[in-house]
Amino acid sequence: MDLGFWTLQALNALQLSMLLFLLSIGLTVIFGLMHFVNLAHGSLYALGAYFGASLAAAGGYWTGFFLAPVAVMAVGLVLYTLLIRRMRKSGPMAQVLVTFGLIFALLDLTRIVWGDLGLPMNAPDILSGRVAFLGIEYPAYRLFVVALGLGVFAALAYVLSRTQIGAMIRAGVDNDAMAACLGINVERLFFIVFCVGCALAGLAGTVAAPLLSVTPDMGLHILIPTLIVIVIGGLGSLKGAIAGSLIYGFVQTFGAVLAPQLASMLIYGLLAAVLVIKPAGLFPAKG
Amino acid sequence: MFRHNTLRYGALVLLAAGALAHAFTAGYFGLEILTEILILAILVLALDMVAGFGGMVSLCHGALMGVGAYAFALLSTKAGISVPLSMVAAVAITGAGAWVIGTVCARSHGIYFIMATLAFGQMAYSYVFEAPIFGGDDGLGGISRPDLSLVGIDLDDSRSFALFCLAALALVYGAAVITLRSGLGRSLSGVMHNAQRMRALGLTVWRVKADVFGVSGMIAGLAGVLAAQHSMYISPGLLNWTVSGEALVVVILGGLGTLVGPLVGAAAFVVLKHEVSALTSYWHLVVGGILIAVVLSRANGIFGWVEARWGAKLDRRLADTTRGTEAQEVTGDA
Repeated sequence: MDLGFWTLQALNALQLSMLLFLLSIGLTVIFGLMHFVNLAHGSLYALGAYFGASLAAAGGYWTGFFLAPVAVMAVGLVLYTLLIRRMRKSGPMAQVLVTFGLIFALLDLTRIVWGDLGLPMNAPDILSGRVAFLGIEYPAYRLFVVALGLGVFAALAYVLSRTQIGAMIRAGVDNDAMAACLGINVERLFFIVFCVGCALAGLAGTVAAPLLSVTPDMGLHILIPTLIVIVIGGLGSLKGAIAGSLIYGFVQTFGAVLAPQLASMLIYGLLAAVLVIKPAGLFPAKG
Repeated sequence: MFRHNTLRYGALVLLAAGALAHAFTAGYFGLEILTEILILAILVLALDMVAGFGGMVSLCHGALMGVGAYAFALLSTKAGISVPLSMVAAVAITGAGAWVIGTVCARSHGIYFIMATLAFGQMAYSYVFEAPIFGGDDGLGGISRPDLSLVGIDLDDSRSFALFCLAALALVYGAAVITLRSGLGRSLSGVMHNAQRMRALGLTVWRVKADVFGVSGMIAGLAGVLAAQHSMYISPGLLNWTVSGEALVVVILGGLGTLVGPLVGAAAFVVLKHEVSALTSYWHLVVGGILIAVVLSRANGIFGWVEARWGAKLDRRLADTTRGTEAQEVTGDA
């Protein structure tokens, strides 16, 4: 176990973390802003992968990369108008159940449209090689995923802390009734955040497609890690989402390498410990 | 607190009669489905106890069922303990495990409770999946059913086993009703409606939650033991969170907090699953659609809807008739 090994594993962990970050940030801000539990977020990620793979097959990787998030956002828009707007006022239990039903329905819809078999999607030619640095060779595409995640994090951090709409979102998360009294259209804000969250889920699916196999149940597999990330990190905050993603990515990756017997239990044990010690997560949006 | 009304008694009688009639007339395949319904019914009864009467929406009941199944399988096949004793031990182990989970999670509410139970469930799932003693992905086989040949019953016959499960369900239903009507059950309702007030009254809130969660875990463990005996083979898939999710769906489809509703839900769910699966392979689309429709309709599941519509009316009419006869008696005396 030399330096190269540690660098390699750290990069693997970072890449997993960034993928989870893209997914969890949408989910956590939607929850923080409107207390809406959207379990179907993972299904949107699967849809992103399918749209990405299909569009990439038709018009090359970058067509899929740019259009798949838009397509997923459109699906999110339909869901919002038909279902989610009506569920805003119901309790968390009803929301969990409706979005649980959506998981089932979307799972079978992807099976109907794309079939049960996995779809292939290749990384673009420019990113298909390997990059040599620090004594190791690492796939360029994975580095691209890491860079993309960090880029999205930087952009969101800027928007949330430096722009007017960011201030409005933070106000809405902190106290939505007060924000509404100050003349912020919280309902429209939620709509925007929801669309961005869906697009990011779609983006995560598209960039994950060349790394993992595109199968109907990929959304179901990613859902639990995403929920663990936002519960460890604390609901509603950007800091929580990035911290949770990094913790999950590193514990999972290094656990699998160093203690394969315990790896999968380790993360659940950590989650249980966090819930017992800090029930609201490490960095909750509200004190 | 849980109360029976006319409609609930009626539904229970109908369900019991239906199950008995089916048990004595159906062929092999029908009996397998009946047994599947009965085992699922025991599991969802356990879940309804904590979710419907304590507000503890658990996503680890599938895992608890799995723990019961694995404990029974290991004790009876590997440790060489007799089948009845293994059954009792498995139920006790699951109950103890559930009590610990209930204790740890008692402080969390809402979505956090759901997540915490999910974490414990998945923890058990991954452990069973990884540890070699549990046979990993391959599962465990060679599980035997209890030997009742002393009283002339052969449980390897699927009709006898279905009746055995029906008896277990009746027993569990009685136990659940007694628990919910006891001081513990009443305290639990109080905690669900206003934990702060119950605390002010001097109640140890976490203890009440943990105790009921433990009882519920014992019931889930029994469901696991029966499931292991039913298929005579178990695999880690039994502990996966989707099993708990499905159980929650059944409780909601039937009617949360009615005890009778989840039984109706279990029957409807299993029958629907087999019927729809025979027609199309997209069974999840149908159940997802039904689930969304039920939640959007704002009714408390199938049974809750029936109860809201006819339950009160039925009780009033019966009360009127009794009052009518009393009045007649009075005039008769005069």
